[in-house]
Amino acid sequence: MRRRNLIAAIFLLAIGIGYTVLTAHLPTRDIGSTTQPSFFPWVIAVLFLVLSAALLIQGLRPATGDAVPKAPDVAPNKYLWGGVAFVVYLAALPTLGFLAANVPFFLALMYLYGERRPLWLLGGSIGISLALFFLFRKVFQILLPSGILSGVIS
Amino acid sequence: MNPDILDGFAQASMMSSLIATGIGSLLGLVVGMIPGMTISTGIIIVLPLTFVLEPTISIALLLGLYVSGMTGGSFSAILLNIPGTPSASATGLDGHPLAQRGEAGRALGLAITASFIGGMFSFAGLFLIAPLLAEIALRFQSPDLFSLVFFGLTIICSFAAKSVIKGLLSAVIGLMIVTIGQDPMMGSQRFTFGQVNLIAGIHFLTALIGLFAIPQLVDNFVELIGDKETRHKATRIERVLPRWADLKRIRLPVCIGAPVGAFLGILPGAGGPIAAFISYDYTKRVSKNRDEFGKGAPEGIAAPESANNAVTGGALVPMMTLGIPGDPVTAILIGALLIHGLAPGPLLFVENGGFAFGVIFSFMYANFFNIVIGFLGLRLLVKVLATPNALLMPTIALLCVIGSYALRNNFFDVYVMFGFGLLGLAMRWLDMPVVPLLLALVLGRPLEEHLRVSLASSQGDPTIFFTSPFSVVFLGMAALSIFWSFYAEHRSRRESNGATRQ
Repeated sequence: MRRRNLIAAIFLLAIGIGYTVLTAHLPTRDIGSTTQPSFFPWVIAVLFLVLSAALLIQGLRPATGDAVPKAPDVAPNKYLWGGVAFVVYLAALPTLGFLAANVPFFLALMYLYGERRPLWLLGGSIGISLALFFLFRKVFQILLPSGILSGVIS
Repeated sequence: MNPDILDGFAQASMMSSLIATGIGSLLGLVVGMIPGMTISTGIIIVLPLTFVLEPTISIALLLGLYVSGMTGGSFSAILLNIPGTPSASATGLDGHPLAQRGEAGRALGLAITASFIGGMFSFAGLFLIAPLLAEIALRFQSPDLFSLVFFGLTIICSFAAKSVIKGLLSAVIGLMIVTIGQDPMMGSQRFTFGQVNLIAGIHFLTALIGLFAIPQLVDNFVELIGDKETRHKATRIERVLPRWADLKRIRLPVCIGAPVGAFLGILPGAGGPIAAFISYDYTKRVSKNRDEFGKGAPEGIAAPESANNAVTGGALVPMMTLGIPGDPVTAILIGALLIHGLAPGPLLFVENGGFAFGVIFSFMYANFFNIVIGFLGLRLLVKVLATPNALLMPTIALLCVIGSYALRNNFFDVYVMFGFGLLGLAMRWLDMPVVPLLLALVLGRPLEEHLRVSLASSQGDPTIFFTSPFSVVFLGMAALSIFWSFYAEHRSRRESNGATRQ
């Protein structure tokens, strides 16, 4: 836990310094007694740096009996493939549209969550994706882009 | 009688509002029951719906989900010894042993009944206290409001975190995010990097979906509900309606749990789990049957259940009267109201009195639906426990994406949601709570506005915050809450070091 605090503190200090630099470059206005737009960010920057420094000091102190949370027993590959599926889906979403992108994404997630029966994989991914798409589009009138299927879906 | 009360009652009693409350309650029981699903996630799922519904109907739906989610959490705690929500952890201590003795229906019946009593007690509190508090809050000036919001933030940080520094850091990260976009006083752009989508700032609900739902999806890679056989076995239930003897036994526990829960609900950040454990502990001390606790005592189910449901009404008090959310769910409720142009706070009772009382009466109806659906649909509802994660989690993932997109019909918000999901995972790895960040996203803007308006009115003199008694009291309480949290953390560390040495 101490090591994590140390990593966190260094990372947060870096963010704090970056935020301070950006705050210093915020535009100023000649507005009499009213505070500048950068006033609140300055308050936050100072608070953030002080707190990050306090976390750093805590991290540098000798370790005590702090418990380290136990990581769940899951193959790391699952996290990796889950992340890849999400990134690919988000990248493809504007071009493919919600329906065409949702089906393979749903199928991939079903597989990652342990479903192996081909019929369930296909039925679940197509059925639920279709149901959600039309529920939002037709019932709730939320215009989800249909992308490459725009010629097919009215 | 105040005409707003009648108007509010009429609004909450409309067929559309009642249907929404009923659907919300049904969903709440289901969501609360599924281990690994929180009430916040449940609300995120129905959030896109609220964009297109009338505010009264939206809030009725969300309240139904909030109230019944608390009760639903106890179902899996009793049947599987896995609390559906953190608030139900204490219920499982006696509920599960009772279920193991073949009396699952009795345990569930007691939980539903105690939830109803706790909920109705907090409704009475909400109905009586909220309008009075709103009237007092109307007298607050900018310095008082700044000090109040500041106090709200500090108390949340101290309750939500094991480490006060991490809690405060989490809140400050939230405040940093709030500064992205237009400055609230003069409209100058800050930290937008020329990106048009950032001018309006980061939408609070987008952040919320990412912070809560993505870590939940990752968590559920592990099957939490146990093997299929256990799940199917757990769904077999006998008599549910409580017997007269049991009702007599739970009189004292609910008399303890309901006021404790309602009071702790009013305190921002305290929440259901604390109220449930305090009530359980206190009931055990004063009970004649204290030896039965932990072995299936009805009192051990009733006390925490009445407490955690009473928290819901309590949490609505600061949300509605001061605009301060007590927990993530009330933060989402604020977001849902803001989408409809309704700002929670003392003015809500003045400008939209009918609506404000409508919320209070919808809360009452939510408690009625909770007990009715709970008793009538229990046998069917528990079948949900057998739903595989392989269908549930991908559905949640799609709903998160659709919900983020639907907020402003913008793919940018979907990417922001994913970014916040990664932030949520990183914060969890660092053992940093996300709740202070979330609440800072809600409170950050009013905090800055009141701070700068106060300073402008005093020509930059910071002593303005010490000129009003309200402000002095709030600042004093904020200082006390920070000091107390540091002291409590120091003491617990010293105790744990002592235990390690021994």
